Amino acid sequence: MSFEPKILGIACNWCTYTGADLAGTTRLQYPQNLRVVRVMCSSRINPSFIFRALQMGADGVLVGGCHPGDCHYNTGNLYARRRLAVTKKILEFAGMEPGRFRVEWISASEGNRFAEVVTEFTEQIKNLGPQTKMNIQE
Amino acid sequence: MTDFKKIEENLKKEAKRLLEAGEVAVVLAYAKGFDEKHPMPFAAKCVEDADHLVFNEYCTYNMARYLVRYPKGTKIAIAVKAADSRAVIQLIQEEKVKREDLILLGIPVKGMKNGKTGEEIDSKTTCGMYNPILHDILLGEEIHGQKITSPYDVLAEYEAMDQDARWTFWKNELDKCIRCYACRKACPMCYCDPCFIDQLKPKWADKAPQSPGNMMYHLTRFHHLAGRCIDCGECSRACPVDIPLYLFHKKVAKECEEMFNQAAGMRIEDKPVLVDFRVEDSDKILE
Repeated sequence: MSFEPKILGIACNWCTYTGADLAGTTRLQYPQNLRVVRVMCSSRINPSFIFRALQMGADGVLVGGCHPGDCHYNTGNLYARRRLAVTKKILEFAGMEPGRFRVEWISASEGNRFAEVVTEFTEQIKNLGPQTKMNIQE
Repeated sequence: MTDFKKIEENLKKEAKRLLEAGEVAVVLAYAKGFDEKHPMPFAAKCVEDADHLVFNEYCTYNMARYLVRYPKGTKIAIAVKAADSRAVIQLIQEEKVKREDLILLGIPVKGMKNGKTGEEIDSKTTCGMYNPILHDILLGEEIHGQKITSPYDVLAEYEAMDQDARWTFWKNELDKCIRCYACRKACPMCYCDPCFIDQLKPKWADKAPQSPGNMMYHLTRFHHLAGRCIDCGECSRACPVDIPLYLFHKKVAKECEEMFNQAAGMRIEDKPVLVDFRVEDSDKILE
């Protein structure tokens, strides 16, 4: 049986989640490996969520937010950008594969882009194989 | 070499003067512990207390740790070495203390020693500066003309490791952790009440000293100190099982400095990097 990764998607309510909705309503195909959690803003994401997700058995984490400058709350994603950049560096220095964590800006009208990103990211995680470093769910 | 006796004399003299004049309620410095190698942090509250103050090469503790314990508005004089003064600046930036409530007794010092190992403390484990960045009264001669080595040089070896080797290294190191939280107690920037690790709702991490909880605790602590760690190295000196926490803190500080062009605790006017943003920040930092 081929490896089917579990991917946690954390999507901002106003852009990426609506974008995912659009991808659904326009019947675009994308892999079903993504489990989406909706948050009100990308700056709602506590970096511990990402560490915890990896511990609880996620093979990859995809964070989606509005394009910088388009945030529903004006500046939320600008804070998130700095914060998540640090998260990425920490995971990398701890020895986690950097490809397992990705941040993408996807707006509400970019259903196509959402499907594309998910397909690409799932492919990437499949190539990396199961995440065993932080996983405590065995 | 720094003249420790002269600094000690000056420290006693200034502490007495400030306490006598009533300019401050407390002087934060060091007193004799059970032997010379183990001085202890000490808060002198009256003129008689000031006689107990000492300063020698083992007085490594970062006294900025104790600032946040006093009610706001308390007038405090504090003995600061180079990294300690950066901690004070960082606390002022975070509005934990006010500049006008503080009198900084600056101590330029070279040749501090680790009480546990007896080794000299240099840029390998700390920021490697000699002179306090901010001071009101200087207790010794400023040190100039010394070769400055970058505090980040020590990282090269670990950055060159491949991912799996680095993971094994950190897993082995963090697995040693007995969760005594000495790193948190020693850190001048760890003042959250309650700390995320003490919270039960939500319960962020296991409290048992085992691999998953240790990993969660330390990674999150590194994150919380991103752009705020002033590289005094106290966490690793306080650690009873000698985890090289300073390495990770240095790495995060280096990345923050590269990404946001700002080092922690250098200027009072700055804002901590993670509670600030620039519209022109590049998306490249996320790659």
